[in-house]
Amino acid sequence: MEIFKEIKAVIKWHELLWQMVSREVKARYKQSILGYFWVILNPLAQMLVMSFAFSIILRIPTNAASNIPYSVFLFVALLPWNLFANSLSSACGSLVGSASLITKVYFPRTILVISTIIAKIVDFLFALIVLIIYMIAFHISINTNILWIFPIFFIQQIFTLGLSLFFAASNLLYRDIQYLISLILTLWLYLTPVIYPADIVPARYKIFFQLNPMAIIINAYRQTVLGGGPPNYFSLLIALIVSLIVLLLGLSYFKSREKIFADNI
Amino acid sequence: MNNKDTNTIIKFDHVTKDFSLQTQKTFKEFLPALFMGEKTVNKFTALSDISFEIQKGECIGIIGPNGSGKSTILKLVAGVMSPTLGKVTVHGKISPLIELGAGMHPELSGRENIYLNGAILGLKRKQIDECFQSIVDFSELQEFIDQPIKHYSSGMYMRLAFSIAVHVNPEILIVDEILTVGDTEFQAKCFAKMEEFKKKGVTILFVSHSMETIKSFCTKVIYINQHKIQSIGNPHQVTQKYKADSPLS
Repeated sequence: MEIFKEIKAVIKWHELLWQMVSREVKARYKQSILGYFWVILNPLAQMLVMSFAFSIILRIPTNAASNIPYSVFLFVALLPWNLFANSLSSACGSLVGSASLITKVYFPRTILVISTIIAKIVDFLFALIVLIIYMIAFHISINTNILWIFPIFFIQQIFTLGLSLFFAASNLLYRDIQYLISLILTLWLYLTPVIYPADIVPARYKIFFQLNPMAIIINAYRQTVLGGGPPNYFSLLIALIVSLIVLLLGLSYFKSREKIFADNI
Repeated sequence: MNNKDTNTIIKFDHVTKDFSLQTQKTFKEFLPALFMGEKTVNKFTALSDISFEIQKGECIGIIGPNGSGKSTILKLVAGVMSPTLGKVTVHGKISPLIELGAGMHPELSGRENIYLNGAILGLKRKQIDECFQSIVDFSELQEFIDQPIKHYSSGMYMRLAFSIAVHVNPEILIVDEILTVGDTEFQAKCFAKMEEFKKKGVTILFVSHSMETIKSFCTKVIYINQHKIQSIGNPHQVTQKYKADSPLS
């Protein structure tokens, strides 16, 4: 199968993959005075302003049962959402940005997309430090269900990679895709329970949220991190299946276009 | 595989390469065109039905006017493009030197770029560690190796790129007209290195507009024009034919 062939190729070229990741990470660190501080400052500022708007002005409820402050409630969902959104938008430009490489040297092109996503995961891990400090400061109690974040994270990355492959390849043919992607992401944020809890969604719309893997993933993070019991296994299974299908389709589209990347760039 | 083929390192078998020139690059142009039933794709043939074989250890010069398809041949050999028709067979490790510093990152230092570029050319970290000093020595950039390469001059860029490419230990070296940059001394050094490769039996593909260089360096020349091979063989005869075809040069 195509996916196993691709995994094998990427493993064979893993040295290049790590060099590309470190290129992204180092280049960011060197370009600006604040360097890595930006990846912390950015979500922190976003979280503070959004908390003010949605909790103090709009008074969105968190979970009725617990006494979790809105800012923590928001931050737990906002960080993985930002990871998703940032990964997708940078992956979308990853092939176009490496035009000089694509037309000159052969290597598995998926590496360009994967390395961009991994670099975003590095950013995410830095931002996570703030969340941890924040949770300690607010004495949020956690339990062993927090271990669920690993499989949830895994599903999120499958989904992200699938979409990224599709959008990166299509952006090469039509540069409009990069603008389209920022529009999609803005709308998608509001259709995902990031700033509001999933349980206030009216029953008749719940089905749409079930089909949105990001809704399931974000909700599952929030539930397991904030001590709310295990995730909904059935929903998570749906998210996994949808994500796998997206990955297979995304990869298959990417591979079908790969041969003409150098012609069209 | 029969005996005759064992020395063939590159083989083009009736290769045709078409480019589909998309006349519309954005949706704004594409959507109306779709509804109006306009043709959205124009074909441009870069190479048409080309066949040749290159033996191991040969040093091939490729000549021809601009836009005749020289670079397309190199890209097909490098494997970054696929032929529309026909088959390209390449055996052996390739080190492409098609353009200055592909894959170099301006913000990173020379040192970091050596590792990055080495990985792009398929080297393991350990292999780069081993030849790192030799790469630096060859490039003569010792003092600047820890500076971001955005401060390098284009000549320094090229030196670094060339030094990395020749340390890959390629079986096929692709050189596309880059030796025009850099001072005469470094150019001489590059040619000395390429002579060394030639002696070691590395196959070299070399694109140049300088007939003198081609004649003195190559063992065989391919003259390509109007998307077809016009002549192939002895450097003197083929460059003569090229000169005869283009009276102005």
